[in-house]
Amino acid sequence: MGLIGDLLASGVAIGAIYGLIAMGFAVIYKSTGLVNFAQGELTMIVAYLAWTIASSVTGNVVVVVLGSIAGAVILGLAIERIIMRPMLGEPIFSSVLLTVALAVILRSSITLIWDAYPHALDLGVGRDVVHIGNVGMRGAQIATIVTLFAVMAGFYLFFRFSKIGVAMRAVAADDRTALLMGVSATQIHAIAWAASSVIAGIAGVLFAMIYDLSPAMFQLGLKAFPATILGGLDSVIGSGFGGVLVGIIENLAGGYIGSGTKDVAGFVLIIVILMVRPFGLFGEREIVRV
Amino acid sequence: MRSGDFKESYASLVVLTDSRWVWFWSAVLVATLVGAPFAVNAYLLSLVTLVLITVTGALGLNLLTGMTGLISLGHAGFLVLGAFAYAVVVVKYKFPSLAGFAAAAIVPALFSIAVGLPSLRLRGLYLAITTLAFSYIINNIILDASSITGGARGIAVQRPEFLGLDFSSDQAFALLCLFVAAVALFACLNIRRSRIGRAFMAIRDNDIAARTMGINLQWFKLYAFMTCAVMTGLAGALMGIYLSFVSVEGFPFLLSIEALAILIVGGLGSALGAVLGTLFVILLPEVVRILFGLIGGSLEAGLSTGVHEVKSIIYGVIIILFLRFEPRGLVGVWRDAKRLWVHWPLRY
Repeated sequence: MGLIGDLLASGVAIGAIYGLIAMGFAVIYKSTGLVNFAQGELTMIVAYLAWTIASSVTGNVVVVVLGSIAGAVILGLAIERIIMRPMLGEPIFSSVLLTVALAVILRSSITLIWDAYPHALDLGVGRDVVHIGNVGMRGAQIATIVTLFAVMAGFYLFFRFSKIGVAMRAVAADDRTALLMGVSATQIHAIAWAASSVIAGIAGVLFAMIYDLSPAMFQLGLKAFPATILGGLDSVIGSGFGGVLVGIIENLAGGYIGSGTKDVAGFVLIIVILMVRPFGLFGEREIVRV
Repeated sequence: MRSGDFKESYASLVVLTDSRWVWFWSAVLVATLVGAPFAVNAYLLSLVTLVLITVTGALGLNLLTGMTGLISLGHAGFLVLGAFAYAVVVVKYKFPSLAGFAAAAIVPALFSIAVGLPSLRLRGLYLAITTLAFSYIINNIILDASSITGGARGIAVQRPEFLGLDFSSDQAFALLCLFVAAVALFACLNIRRSRIGRAFMAIRDNDIAARTMGINLQWFKLYAFMTCAVMTGLAGALMGIYLSFVSVEGFPFLLSIEALAILIVGGLGSALGAVLGTLFVILLPEVVRILFGLIGGSLEAGLSTGVHEVKSIIYGVIIILFLRFEPRGLVGVWRDAKRLWVHWPLRY
């Protein structure tokens, strides 16, 4: 139980972070049909924001959390309004490339605004080790797992019961008909970007609490790709589970095959999954008409 | 006044150009480029060499993304493969340079089959993600196989020498790059007007319709991947020689973005666009640097500390601006200018 228990525990913890980011991908894909390549950068920028707030008001977790959520919302809305909305009606290809460009801009701005060194984000909580059986986990790791399931449950209820959630599903299913039924597509897109940015931010802050802040954090976004592919790009809940699965696979590969394989295990997984099911495990099969 | 431009046979429709003046100016351009290495100073020469190498790489991606419509975010993977194939064959196993270049073309082509096969079933975004995954896997393989590739330490590369020609001087190396770029350009232009090129464009425009017209999708998609990989691999080998050092860090993910930026700025699917885009993207940081130098010292100092970041931001911003305001790219601007020039003062 020793090694495998530890590997599983830390796999689930990191997987929960991938899962959160993957849900961010799925939320945007579901409502706008885009893959947002800047998701990892959103994660990183909110984490840095939290660090700035935390170092100016020490010891006040609530302020940090509220501040970074507000920052994430503003960031998401600004990106949607300034960059994405003018591209409505253009080919998907262009809009996706736009997010790639956005990713590069955000990533470089972070290094320019803050610096290129790793920092510890210490909020004064979540540092102590909790023992479950003979597996030790940090408080923040457990908090991450709990957060993932809370966010998943929240999204399930949101899509199922809230008016906006139903509108989002309608836009995802058929945006033109949704428009005719009186749903404002731009409004839905704005909400999706804000929500996705907030989830990314939560993941970023939790990651920074467990590990450290560093300019290489954007790679979390790349690592969450396999998760969202596994779960299906248009399945928000599936992406959350996909993340946990990818985290476990990655850690097991790192522990039993070799540490180098840890970084690429997810990518190999993507290629294998896409060979078998080109639309993801839980994704909807696309029917193409000529 | 010309009332129109009528073609009377299929051959004259697909001919490279029917204008004698285009041939004339192309010949002037080639003569200038051949003479240029001996006329300009060392800094400009290295810039010209970089442009020529990048053109080769961009033309490769243009075949895949521009003509066939398969989005690739793993272009840096092919570049790094070409560079390492050359370096390993020439430096490690002491084969002649020509064998190195052959390896730089063949190894990426073989790997492109490996990435192309799973991609046959994928379209659009999923393909972009697999190619991204591919480039990370390649980097990891190279780092892991350190007994052959030197791993993270990389390999130092000398200037090549083959067929009795010595390319160790900067001028001679620039001419070699010019030769490769010119061949790549002609290959692209000619592929475009052949059956293969038309099949590529048919796949881009609508793959299912293309299949009903008798185009073998599997074969032509793989073919696009392989031609792209060959050109890009050669560009990678030249890049390694140009940097005189081959390492995984020398070919960052940013290169894949830069290649896409070149295509978008130039105009997707056009060989001329790849050339114009390269000129724009490579020369822009230089222009910005000179402008900042004129404004004042403190900005220039800030620029030199964060040069990589500023460059990335510039790439990002120009991609966004072109996608937003001129999706046809520089080629579109060029065509508008040409039309204006021919028809002025009439509108059309």
